[in-house]
Amino acid sequence: MKITLDAVQIARDSWSLSASGTFTEGIHLISGDTGSGKTTLARVIAGLSLPTSGRIRRDGISHPMISFQFPEHHVTGSTVSEECSSWRVDPTMMLKQVSLSEKAALSPLCLSRGELKRLHLACVLSQDYDLLVLDEPFSSLDCREKERACTAISGRTRGITIIFTHEQAQFPRVDMLWEIAGGSLHCRGSLPGALRTWEHAPEIIRTLIRNGKIPANLSREDIREAACRT
Amino acid sequence: MQDIRLRIVTALLLTLSAFFSLAGAAFVFLWWITCSGKVSEIMRMRMILPVAGMLAFFSAVLSLTGGDGVSYFLRMMVIVLIGSWVYAEQRSGEFLHLGVWLLGKRTGFELGMLADMAMQTLHLMVRDFDTIRVAQNLKKAGPAKKTLVPAGLVLVTSALSRADHTAELMAVRGYRDGGSLCPRFFTTRGDIVRCLVALCILIITAIPVSEFFILYR
Repeated sequence: MKITLDAVQIARDSWSLSASGTFTEGIHLISGDTGSGKTTLARVIAGLSLPTSGRIRRDGISHPMISFQFPEHHVTGSTVSEECSSWRVDPTMMLKQVSLSEKAALSPLCLSRGELKRLHLACVLSQDYDLLVLDEPFSSLDCREKERACTAISGRTRGITIIFTHEQAQFPRVDMLWEIAGGSLHCRGSLPGALRTWEHAPEIIRTLIRNGKIPANLSREDIREAACRT
Repeated sequence: MQDIRLRIVTALLLTLSAFFSLAGAAFVFLWWITCSGKVSEIMRMRMILPVAGMLAFFSAVLSLTGGDGVSYFLRMMVIVLIGSWVYAEQRSGEFLHLGVWLLGKRTGFELGMLADMAMQTLHLMVRDFDTIRVAQNLKKAGPAKKTLVPAGLVLVTSALSRADHTAELMAVRGYRDGGSLCPRFFTTRGDIVRCLVALCILIITAIPVSEFFILYR
């Protein structure tokens, strides 16, 4: 199971993005500034848009899914409970998991965006996809929910998971680190080695590296362990 | 056509011409082919086919009930093409300039701003609808008739909430009514010529030729 980007070029007016590389099974994190083309690349990788030039090969992927930044785009149920059912999950269990049981009969559009995102992510992450593209999965979530989402993402053992984010505070445990910089997608490699060349590294990681304490990965536990290392 | 005033007048003239008669619709269609400059862009618009389908349905009903369905279909299709041309030519902020030029700094400004905001919302709704359809397909949410209502609900709710936020933001920033703007338009000779051609089409269509010339019968 893999996705290969072969000299992919996406161009719009004066803006362009080039990307090459192979995404194998595991969790990939793609960071980049706002407006760098993360969502555009996410759509191209998920097969929703065509690149201007180049080729994308998807081997062994028959069940893809993309989670858009705004969760309301995914809504198909008229109640929160129905929305859970539309993802083929048990509403009672799911709503208990995301602490929304008392809102089961409400319209999903009556939920705050944070609540809806929480519900949407829990539903998406409860499924088994060959390819899961998450576009800004942590936006609208508070710290506790980000932590919960990171744990769920880190727990994915099958398929290719690609996270597009400009998040700087919380991350799941990832296998490969990529970033969009200067109009190109760069593969920084596997962790922890990739952290040394990560341009978008959060300040805490930069500080740890400066002090010679390289975290094993990006999760809170890894960063805490590195920070407490003597 | 860069001048929105001429574009609106031209669209109005062409719509009237197409509405009057089948011959007028044919002239307007010729105008659309030769003068609009947006034929390929308009033909790529995804709304054209569904609208054509809807018109075909009503035309068929009209034909079955004794009316001239074919004429109705052709004339309405030409009007739809002209509408699509106006939509394709539209640029952000134009209605504001038009409103102030037409009705002044208070009413004109407000109506112009309203029209511009409506167009902006329309663009966003089209973009959102695309995303929603993709999400529904990936979710295997079922046939279009089952998913159209939730999609519509999301679109309307988002548009209302966006309008609410914009209104609050404007109030917070001290907006009360009206505003100052120096309307600017860029008129080319080509715009004037195309508008005049549209006027000629309306004259030819609306005035019976036999009133002026003694024709052989």
